Amino acid sequence: MQSSKAGTNLNEPLTGWSAFSTTFKVMFIEEFRENLDFAKKRRILLFPLLVALVTMVATIGLQFLVGEGASQGADSISDAKTFSWDEMRLALHFPLLLFSLGMGSFAFLGRERILARTGTKNYLLASPALQPLTNPTAHFAYYMKDLSYYVLLILTPVISGMFVGITLEYFTDVSTPLEYSSLPITWIAMIVTLAQGLAFSFIASSMWLLGGWFSRITPVIVVIIGTILGLGLIDREFILWGLATQQPEGLALALPALLASIFIAWCASQLVRDDFEIKVTSKKEIFLPAYNRLKFLGKGPLRLLVAKEAVDLIRSGSLKKMIVSYSVPLVVLLMMAWLVDFAEAPIPINLLSYAPFLGFFGFNFYSWLTALDSPEHMNGLPLSVPQLIRAKVTVYFLATTWISVIFLCLMAWKLDEWAVLPVGLIVMIANSIYIVCLTAFLMGLSPNKAIFDAKIMTWFWIGTVLPLLSLFLLSFTQGDVSFYENWADQVQQEGLQAQAVDFDNERAAAGFKGILWVSVGLVAASVLLMKLLDRKWGRAEFNN
Amino acid sequence: MSGEAESLVVAKDLGKRYGDFIALHPLDVKVSAGEFFGVFGPNGAGKSTFIKLLTGQLRPSIGAVEVLGINAARDPQKLKANIGIVPESESPPSYLTPSEFLQFVGKLRGVDDIDAKVEHWIDWFGLGEKRDTMCKDLSKGQRQKVMLSSAFIHEPKLLFLDEPFANLDPIYQRKCREWLMDMVDNGGTIFLCSHVLEMAERMCNRMAIINNGKVLAAGTVSGLKESEKETLEDVFIRLVGHSIEEAERLSDESSSEEE
Repeated sequence: MQSSKAGTNLNEPLTGWSAFSTTFKVMFIEEFRENLDFAKKRRILLFPLLVALVTMVATIGLQFLVGEGASQGADSISDAKTFSWDEMRLALHFPLLLFSLGMGSFAFLGRERILARTGTKNYLLASPALQPLTNPTAHFAYYMKDLSYYVLLILTPVISGMFVGITLEYFTDVSTPLEYSSLPITWIAMIVTLAQGLAFSFIASSMWLLGGWFSRITPVIVVIIGTILGLGLIDREFILWGLATQQPEGLALALPALLASIFIAWCASQLVRDDFEIKVTSKKEIFLPAYNRLKFLGKGPLRLLVAKEAVDLIRSGSLKKMIVSYSVPLVVLLMMAWLVDFAEAPIPINLLSYAPFLGFFGFNFYSWLTALDSPEHMNGLPLSVPQLIRAKVTVYFLATTWISVIFLCLMAWKLDEWAVLPVGLIVMIANSIYIVCLTAFLMGLSPNKAIFDAKIMTWFWIGTVLPLLSLFLLSFTQGDVSFYENWADQVQQEGLQAQAVDFDNERAAAGFKGILWVSVGLVAASVLLMKLLDRKWGRAEFNN
Repeated sequence: MSGEAESLVVAKDLGKRYGDFIALHPLDVKVSAGEFFGVFGPNGAGKSTFIKLLTGQLRPSIGAVEVLGINAARDPQKLKANIGIVPESESPPSYLTPSEFLQFVGKLRGVDDIDAKVEHWIDWFGLGEKRDTMCKDLSKGQRQKVMLSSAFIHEPKLLFLDEPFANLDPIYQRKCREWLMDMVDNGGTIFLCSHVLEMAERMCNRMAIINNGKVLAAGTVSGLKESEKETLEDVFIRLVGHSIEEAERLSDESSSEEE
């Protein structure tokens, strides 16, 4: 304590480690409570179990991906056109990096929470506005909290699932090329990737928020890094530190890489300014123009709500971010299509195989839409939750369909499969509608919380995997493919020496009909799900 | 606006603007130890902006603020560690219980014997049964009690209150009022923003009336009245009414010039 000029004893605010640890602990409690609040206790505990179960199945299935004879660590079959261990490692770390990049823009999140702190919900990340805590300390604590949370709730169950998968070898007939000794290394390497992705995303968002030339240089840096990586100018391991950690003799890199990630996150947190200003801005009227353009939606509440959602989307500045975020997985899919085509993989994949997956990414977009604004003010209006959900589904469809169409056309061009494009469009649109309707039906206005609810996620997986898988398999009967029949048996028996079989027009016609019927079924299911919204969410409160 | 004793709050030429919009015209203010100072004005007058500038939540566009000898713009953390703030409409973190939130803010401020103080304020505000309820599940009044507790827990000598009794029932309004009066009697200082004029009559030593970001008048409550018969409501309407008429006149003039 020290004395002020007014003779009052002054407190020194908590700083450094003490402020960080105090904030970290309560933030961890806050995160757990927020997830628990949505999913029941039993279900949130089931989520890691579900992750472990899926990983266990994947561990057993690993032998089919890398070949039964492949021993771990050696790329004995890497020259064959099956997956090598290096590719498998990349397949583990690259999506994890994408996931963590998507989750780590904490500077944006902090700004949003500070701006929304006078609303009905408030979070610790906004507490520096009132409490003797700096924004950098709060943001760094948030980074560490998120990192710990994901390690506990996702990465550790993944490793546990692998452990169970290997253990099953001793009790059943199944086998896996994975070894116990690799699990600690995999766990550590995944933590490195997660920490790195969160840190990179965090610092990009912090730099962006600094404004001025920082905002301009950030996307340039991102594009440069992406180009360097894409063109293979430097080894992937330089960018993907977790992947480098998992290489032979790479374990020594784990600690420096983890510390470097945490240091980057600390730097990112130092760039977050103690700015609690809520800028007062006047905007040109856009609600009525938007409403007038939506005449095709009739005169009911749907048109009003869609216009309101469109205004939210534009005014929040999220439209660009969401379109980019929606496009990124589609770019990955496009690259995948090109790679599979390039590598002449022994799988008869064609344009119709990708079309269902283009629609799958609607889940992300819908999640963003539900997080734009708190809907609680609607509790006093003559509206129902199903009406708002339908409006969000409509906005999703209007805002994203054109992007998917462009990507499908690009794929058709890349694969030179223009003939199946019309059917591809039908499949893509049917899937796109269905996935979002299913998400909306199961998760209502809170999909971000629902991902930790095991019961909901189980239904979601069943609801998505079955139609996706059937369309994927049926797609093998179409396009410019030779392997359309018992291809799995042939590949298993003959490997790359598998012979093409004659093209059977009857089978192709049947497959074509099957694809169309599944698509029609998905559209019908979507309509049914939208009808059932009233039963499931009719009495729910507006709350996200 | 100046006090005679040693000043705890000193703002010089303090102003805030957002682009062309002036949220607070430059003003000087001094609040002395032991004063109950009130700022009153209609909705959107600039009261909350004023309090946020004084407490380091906003950076001034011009001028400077010193509170307890601390520069509010330069060292807001130190300032926030030594004052209590009750904002107009902010809630405690939704997913913490009242007890957890008070522990958190107490620790940030380095409060000694924190458990006892948390217990004291939870009991004082009658939140005992809600101790383990998440703040999001509390009523508005209960959330306001948690926010008041968080401002009182470190026993600051200076409090900044923005509509502090909103959503409180009459029993707790009276209880808080009496506690605040005791605090001032014991040398504490309070800076209050409100549009409830009754609070000025009952509690304030000095007050200012602001509208459209400008101070219209400042002084003691009795000093602002033109006659003994005039009520504070009359004073308010006289000053603010003119201010609104003037603003409307200026707006009309500028729009006719544009035409």
